[in-house]
Amino acid sequence: MTSRQFLLVVALVQGVLLGALIVLIILNRWFRLRRSARIQPRRAAADDAMRRWAAGSTPLGGVLIGLARLPASLAIDALVGWSARVPGERWRDLAAALEHQWWARLVRANGNSARWWKRLECARFLSVGAMPSDVARLTRLINDPHAAVHVAAVASLERMESTPLTLAALERLPRLAPTVQAYYAGMLRRSRPVVVQHLLKRLRRGDDPALPRFAEFAVRLAEPALRERMTALADHTDPEVRIQVARAMGSFPHRESVAALTRLAADAAWEVRAQAERSLGMIADATTLPLVRAAVRDPIWWVRLRAGLALMRFGAAGRNALLEIEVGADPEARNVAKMILGLPAQALAEFAA
Amino acid sequence: MSVLGSVVSGTDLAILIYFLVLNSFYAVLLFLSIPEIWEQTRLAEDDDFQRLMQSDALPPITMLVPAYNESATVEASVTAMLTLEYRSYEVVVVNDGSKDDTIEQLRHAFDLYEVPRIYPETIPTQPLRAVYRSRTRSRLLVLDKENGGKADSLNAAINASRFPLVIAVDADTLIEPDALLRLTRPFLLGREIAAVGGTVRDLAADTVKDGRVTDARVPHRLLPGIQVVEYLRAFLFGRLGWNRLGGNLIISGAFGLFRKEYIAAIGGYRTTSIVEDLDLVVRLHRYLRAKKVRYEMPFIPDPVAWTEVPESAKILARQRERWQRGLIAAMWEYKGMLFNPRYGRVGFLAMPFYAFGEMLAPLIEVFGYVVTVVGLSAGMVNTSFALLFVLVAWGYGMLLSIWAVVLEEVSFRRYRRFGDLFLLLLYASLENFGYRQCTVWWRLKAFVTVWKRRQVWGDMTRKGFGKEVSTP
Repeated sequence: MTSRQFLLVVALVQGVLLGALIVLIILNRWFRLRRSARIQPRRAAADDAMRRWAAGSTPLGGVLIGLARLPASLAIDALVGWSARVPGERWRDLAAALEHQWWARLVRANGNSARWWKRLECARFLSVGAMPSDVARLTRLINDPHAAVHVAAVASLERMESTPLTLAALERLPRLAPTVQAYYAGMLRRSRPVVVQHLLKRLRRGDDPALPRFAEFAVRLAEPALRERMTALADHTDPEVRIQVARAMGSFPHRESVAALTRLAADAAWEVRAQAERSLGMIADATTLPLVRAAVRDPIWWVRLRAGLALMRFGAAGRNALLEIEVGADPEARNVAKMILGLPAQALAEFAA
Repeated sequence: MSVLGSVVSGTDLAILIYFLVLNSFYAVLLFLSIPEIWEQTRLAEDDDFQRLMQSDALPPITMLVPAYNESATVEASVTAMLTLEYRSYEVVVVNDGSKDDTIEQLRHAFDLYEVPRIYPETIPTQPLRAVYRSRTRSRLLVLDKENGGKADSLNAAINASRFPLVIAVDADTLIEPDALLRLTRPFLLGREIAAVGGTVRDLAADTVKDGRVTDARVPHRLLPGIQVVEYLRAFLFGRLGWNRLGGNLIISGAFGLFRKEYIAAIGGYRTTSIVEDLDLVVRLHRYLRAKKVRYEMPFIPDPVAWTEVPESAKILARQRERWQRGLIAAMWEYKGMLFNPRYGRVGFLAMPFYAFGEMLAPLIEVFGYVVTVVGLSAGMVNTSFALLFVLVAWGYGMLLSIWAVVLEEVSFRRYRRFGDLFLLLLYASLENFGYRQCTVWWRLKAFVTVWKRRQVWGDMTRKGFGKEVSTP
């Protein structure tokens, strides 16, 4: 083949491809418009049936018919959308009725699919329509390798009270990235008794590599039953654990918390000291005022800032301490005091958060 | 004559090989963009935004907004930024010593009052004149500083930011209400994200109401219209393809989310760089690869920001010349990464592609035109063969542009009217006849400027959202 012939073939192929792409674009738009025109009234009808059922003016049958007439993905969208607006008892009736719907059975069966998007569809459905018989399926989905699938599945904890499911999510929590952990934590908070019992056990294992993550979760829970266990970790060798302990103590105004924070305020790691100062401010125990005041001279800027902000939470005594520091000998401490005293209340609240 | 003949035929062969290799690589990107857009579309459709909005899992974000002479648009764009659908974020606007009344506009619109500076200067910047908070918008922080350029403003905003993720947004850019929420999807999918980029689209003909794009339209004017196709091609096809190759080298400076700790670790934006976003991303790759940190820098197509594009050839020429200068500077500065195994796919794929495929492309294209003309006039190149070659080259360019339109159509379909679709196809076809050659010429001029070591920014004239052009 000569180079001219080669170029001719390429030009020909390009021409055909260009034509095909233009036809594809036009056909795609046409099909979508037709599909949308067909689906839109059904969607509106399903929404209307759901609205009337939620208001108690029509029986559940209309909703089931409306959902069955929609493609599964749109039916799931409608369910997810409405789940936040319908009271729990009525929603349970709907979930129970859906168990016998043919399309819902198909979606449930997709939980074992090799394709992640099918499993995602199943997880999204179960997040709002799961029944006690779905626990095994949901446990599998919570351990799914695809993040979108297990993130959708864990949302079922909003509606399901199941110890095995809660424990499966809790065990997965330390292995997750920070944002996903925070999402899991939000879901797990609803199963507080089970979670607290399990955390009490896990926080006892001092050499557990997952300990910092469980401690972080314990901070989010701010559960008084965990105070004692968290206080015991104040001398842990891992600074990350001590940071979490310092953060947690602020939520537990207790004599032992103050004692632990006093130790942590002298920690070698500045991150621990900064958190300890913040928590001392939250507790605002008058006996710790000199300690917090001294921390405004810490070599690290962030510790000085945290200590200065903490002083503002001690009321008049703390403010007076800052006024004295503002005209004191230490230039770094003077700067921090000047900055904090110049902040409006709104900014102070945001920084203290 | 025989020497000239062998030079011409040798050059032709070299250009043909370059053309084949480069276009084969584009074809690879094209194929890789198919599964990528399919996956991204599925994930975008399945996001449960209501649930996400109520969750406190979403990472808090600081929006960095450098503003220089943005008086016409600053109020509308900052207002739009302050009403996004996201639970925890703040907006740090930096007035970079504007010569117009940008700071007065801000002070008046948001009832600003001065506060002390409550953060350390971790990255050195030009001196701050004042720090302001707003009485009406608690999320807003405004810094007024001496002029130091966009990179310096971004560094000042990073210093003032409180949150672990920062997003650089141009003050003339309108962000869609759910864009931040969508941009954080990779974080919620548990990926090790160092940075993530969203799509930037051409605002030229869209209807803007209260700082929001309410109706996306394709402009009827040729220059902004062709740029719509260009943006679609750059974002939907190029960057999606690079997602699969693990080496996105550009996260748009107009709309990119970064992990602050990494930016701080590399000393922030470089104030001496001409195209600060490219420079930042290359340095981030270099730093993270050298430190053996596991990371990703994906591009997510569904979060959208709208930006004004140049509407006159003069301003467009300046913009393209500056981009090209930035590319040349970055490739020269980081040439040590080229084919360096230490930098993995970035060193072996992305850097060579940008150096040889993007940076040198205008030189080679013009050289090809010159050699062909010389060959034709000397009778050493067959006229019909040369025309066929040019036809194939342009046809391939057209194919890539139309492919970008296909990706848009099967995924997000922002331009809903059939008329707009027709315009997109028309501009995709016309791009190669005149426009492309102009951009090649402007990019070529960048080599001359670099040669003369002139590094000046072009001024972009803003007309303001939903307003008539105020300056020619």
